[in-house]
Amino acid sequence: MSLHKARIKAFEDILNKDVIDFDQLRKLAFNGIPDEKGLRSVVWKILLHYIPHEKDARESTLKKKRQLYLQFIDEIIVTPGGDADHPLNISPDSSWSTYFKDNEVLLQIDKDVRRLCPEISFFQSATEFPCEKVVNSNGMKRLHKRVEQSVLKYATLERRGLGVAKLSSEIRRSDSLTSGDYVPLNEGCEAHWEVVERMLFLYAKLNPGQGYVQGMNEIIGPIYHTFANDADKDNREHAEADCFFSFTNLMSEIRDFFIRTLDETESGINYMMDRLGSCLRSHDPAVWDRLELQELRPQYYSFRWLTLLLSQEFSLPDVERIWDSLFADEKRFNFLIYICCAMILLVRENLLNGDFASNVKLLQNFPPMDVSLILNKAAEIASA
Amino acid sequence: MAKKTYDLLFKLLLIGDSGVGKTCILFRFSDNHFTTTFISTIGIDFKIKTVELRGKKIKLQIWDTAGQERFHTITTSYYRGAMGIMLVYDITNEKTFDDIVKWLRNIDEHANEDVEKMILGNKCDMEEKRVVSKERGEAIAREHGIRFMETSAKANINIDRAFSELAEAILDKTAGRDADADHARIAVERRPSRAPPARACCS
Repeated sequence: MSLHKARIKAFEDILNKDVIDFDQLRKLAFNGIPDEKGLRSVVWKILLHYIPHEKDARESTLKKKRQLYLQFIDEIIVTPGGDADHPLNISPDSSWSTYFKDNEVLLQIDKDVRRLCPEISFFQSATEFPCEKVVNSNGMKRLHKRVEQSVLKYATLERRGLGVAKLSSEIRRSDSLTSGDYVPLNEGCEAHWEVVERMLFLYAKLNPGQGYVQGMNEIIGPIYHTFANDADKDNREHAEADCFFSFTNLMSEIRDFFIRTLDETESGINYMMDRLGSCLRSHDPAVWDRLELQELRPQYYSFRWLTLLLSQEFSLPDVERIWDSLFADEKRFNFLIYICCAMILLVRENLLNGDFASNVKLLQNFPPMDVSLILNKAAEIASA
Repeated sequence: MAKKTYDLLFKLLLIGDSGVGKTCILFRFSDNHFTTTFISTIGIDFKIKTVELRGKKIKLQIWDTAGQERFHTITTSYYRGAMGIMLVYDITNEKTFDDIVKWLRNIDEHANEDVEKMILGNKCDMEEKRVVSKERGEAIAREHGIRFMETSAKANINIDRAFSELAEAILDKTAGRDADADHARIAVERRPSRAPPARACCS
């Protein structure tokens, strides 16, 4: 049996047990999850605590969660109204005022999901399993419709002959805020970016203290991509619900990175950047000194690295491989710090010879590199 | 001494609401290309371009910032060092224009008093979707005594001009300060690669 096949079998053996040996699964996943047989999809769901360790309980958990998600869509994506309510109602309890406030959040989400992973065509393509309630609602539940810009172009009064007046008006609707290929699909279909838009909107509505922050799209993207490409049809069909809850669980661990008022706390992003700084200083004082001397602050590059779990620094397959290790990390997200530190060490010669500008550029546009090289280096740092 | 590659270094900053085209403007200026396939800027991004003005080689170090509120603590820390700030709105989006006032207040709070400012109304190629007239842009700029231009990163309208005008305004101010800028640069280059002990032992 080839090494690769043996790895697949090792995963299957663990997953088929009545109760999963979580430590064993974590150790195995840490070294990468095979792309085959939807393994990554199921292992991520376990590592992100979405599905239980007990094999028997999985089915019912999934069923319950998937149903709950449909309920969210029903209850949260609604058009306001009612007998006594109208768009000009200034009462703060008016469902219309909430609706307009929500649309501001939606506008930001809409901008961002239309520029998610532009290097691959996946998010622009149609999903196999559109949400029936939404795509057959005559546009009523389509979120992007709510923030579509419409411009009243002109209205002219034409008079021909005796008193025959013809009012011709034209209302033009812009295709989208950002041009490009992220166009909404017709009734009955929807693109993957529309699905991501819905999940982020529901997340923002259900987590009002946090709402939507730019970058969350880059966190949900790889999860949804993995789930929506599952080998199992049933799992693909419910990728949206499964992704929503897995994303929510992941966010519960990293959401403080996204909250400005928590920047200085122990779970905030500044603390993470400091930790990366100390890690670098202890492993390569020469590079650390050099960057200090150039006043090249960690915020210039590591803010993005850490907040987005490196999702903007590498191609999607590499991000997925990196996330195998991140999710399998017993002390999430310590290993993230080590990976970031490894990245810096691997370009140390350039950094030691480069000036400020070339060094910022290098770190902000990390050169393509075999990701296993980075992960091995990170493991070396972790065990040091 | 090595041959100088530039005479002056100007630090510029691009700010404005999310999605107004800051990254596209910068990309058009630095690489002379336009693409709609830009991911959203998280935190801060950076480009360099050297231009020649009045016989001087000027290195522009341009910082591109994220538009959303969350990133303000990260991005406002760059205001202080900036010599020029470009404030961008989208002529097809009313809110981004309304927010200009907010951004100006931000500049007042965080930037140097003598920072050169410029307001850009971007996406002026999309005339059919325009909701902010050029006159309104001019009016708000006049009110605050700031330069104004309408630009299009897509159609390459006024992009180079905007950067040169801003650089020129800074040049007018800095004319007498060449020596200082030079001094700072050489000092950095001559520092030994190892930090002095005082720095090494602090934590």
